[in-house]
Amino acid sequence: MTPVTSAPARIILICSGKGGVGKTTLTANLGIALAKLGERTTVLDADFGLRNLDLLLGLENRIVYTAQDVLSETCRLEQALVKHKQQPNLSLLPAGNPRMLEWLTPEDMQKIVKLIATQADYVLIDCPAGVEQGFKNAALASQEAIVITTPEISAVRDADRVIGLLNTMNVTPVQLVLNRVRPKMVANQEMLAVDAVTDILALPLLGLVVEDEQVIVATNRGEPLTLNGSSTAAGKAYHNIARRLRGEDVPLVDPSKERRGIRARLMNKLRQAGLF
Amino acid sequence: MAAELIPSLHRERPHLLKLPAWNAAGDPVSEVRDALLLEPTIQGAVTLLCGSWPLRPGDYRRLMDLLVTASLSLRSVCCLEEEARVAAASLGLTLERPAMVEPVPAASEGPTSPALSIHQGTLRSGDHRHAAGSLLVLGDVNPGAQVSATGHVMVWGRLRGIAHAGRSGDRGARIVALHLHPLQLRIADQVARGPAEAPPAGLAEKAHLVNGRIQIDPADPSWPLGGVPAQLPGLSSSGKGASLA
Repeated sequence: MTPVTSAPARIILICSGKGGVGKTTLTANLGIALAKLGERTTVLDADFGLRNLDLLLGLENRIVYTAQDVLSETCRLEQALVKHKQQPNLSLLPAGNPRMLEWLTPEDMQKIVKLIATQADYVLIDCPAGVEQGFKNAALASQEAIVITTPEISAVRDADRVIGLLNTMNVTPVQLVLNRVRPKMVANQEMLAVDAVTDILALPLLGLVVEDEQVIVATNRGEPLTLNGSSTAAGKAYHNIARRLRGEDVPLVDPSKERRGIRARLMNKLRQAGLF
Repeated sequence: MAAELIPSLHRERPHLLKLPAWNAAGDPVSEVRDALLLEPTIQGAVTLLCGSWPLRPGDYRRLMDLLVTASLSLRSVCCLEEEARVAAASLGLTLERPAMVEPVPAASEGPTSPALSIHQGTLRSGDHRHAAGSLLVLGDVNPGAQVSATGHVMVWGRLRGIAHAGRSGDRGARIVALHLHPLQLRIADQVARGPAEAPPAGLAEKAHLVNGRIQIDPADPSWPLGGVPAQLPGLSSSGKGASLA
C-alpha cells in the first residue's frame, strides 16, 4: 500500500473544445509519464457519452465497476479503480455507460473527484468535446486545466472559447499544449506557427508535440508511447510535459526553428541527452 | 436605429423591448430579431415599447412568434399610435400607459448611462460585449468575439474579432485599436471585411466612415470622445486634486 501523504492532489482538466485534437491521447500519455515519475495518478474518463480512455490504456477488458457504480454505492472506489498492469502508480476510473449522461450532475462529478483525490497525487480528467453540460460538469470539479489544441484555426478558435469559459469557472492556472505540429509545414508557412497560436490564446505553453505516426500505432495497441520509454518525438514531448507539470525546468524548443542543419541538430541532441 | 432589449433589474418586472424611431420602410420584426441576437441570455416576460410604430395585428403575431423562439413572452404593450393600440387590444394584449413604463428604464439604468464603459480583460471567441455610449476595451478582442457600442469602440490591445461602432446609427462613430486586424468592421449600417494583412506593429489605426464607406487610417493622437476625463465617472483632470480627495 502506498502511504497517504498530506499534500492535496492536483486536479487537472484536460480539454480542447474541438474533438479529435488529442485530449484522450494526452491524458493517457501524461498519466503514464506521471506514474513513471513516481506520482500516484488517477485518470478519470469524463467523456461518458463516448468513452475510450480505457482503450488507449489497454485496460478495456479489466473493467468491472464504473464511476456510476461508485456514485450509486454499489461498490467502493477501490474496487472500481483499474490499476495499470505495468505502472501500478496509475489507475483509471472508467466512465459509466452512456445512459449516465441523463442523471450526472456537477455535484456527482465533484463527489467522485473528491473521493479520488484522497488517494492520489494527480487526478487527470479527460473532458468530453464541446462546451455543453459534460464539459461544465468536468470543469466545475477541476482546479486547474490543460487546454490542448492543434495549429488549425478551427481548433484554436474552440480552444479560445473554452479558455474564456474556464476563466469564468475559477479554474486556474490554465496551460496550453500544442499538438500535432508539423515543423516542415510551419517553416513553409502552410501551418499556423507556434507564436501565432500562443499570441491569440495568451497562455503559458506547457508543451509542444510534433505530428508522429507512432501515436496511431500506440493507440491501436493500447500502449501509450510514454509506457515503454520509447524514443519517439511525441513520446519525449509527453514526458517533458509531465516533468514541466511537476515544476521541473525543461526547456521548450520550437521544432520549426530547430532544424538548422546537421551540426545544430547534433548539438541539440547532445544537449537533450545531457538533460535526460 | 436598431431595437434594444433592456433587461429588467427586478425579477417581477418585465424586460423592456424598445423599438427604434419609426420609419416607414423599416420592419419591426427584423429590428427585434437583431436585438434578440445581441442579448441571447435574457428570458422571461417583455413589455414592448412601440413608440409611434403603427403596428398591426399581423406584426404583433410575428413579434410574439419571434419572442417565443427566444424564450421570451410578450406581456404588455405601450404605444402612442391609436392604430397600434387598437390592434394590441384586439389581440388581448395588456396596454400600458407611457407614463407607467417610461420611468422604469430610467430608474433601472441609474441616473444617467455613462458616456464611456470600460471592459477590462480579453474578450475570447464567443464573447459579446455591448455598451450604450462608447466602449473602451483594455485587452484583446480575439477572433470570434464581438464588441459593439452606440458610440465609439476603442480597443487598447489587438482587435481581431468583430467591432460595431454607432450601433444606433451614429455615422460619426469610430473604431480605434492599437492593432487593428479585425474579421469585420461595422459602423452604423455599413459593413466591411477586415484587411487580409496585419497592420505594421506599433501603428494604432482607426476605422471611420468616409463618403459612406468604412476606411482605415492611422489613428489621431487625440481622444475621440472630446473632453474625456470630464466624462469619465470618478475621474477629473480639471479639478485640482479633486480626484485624489
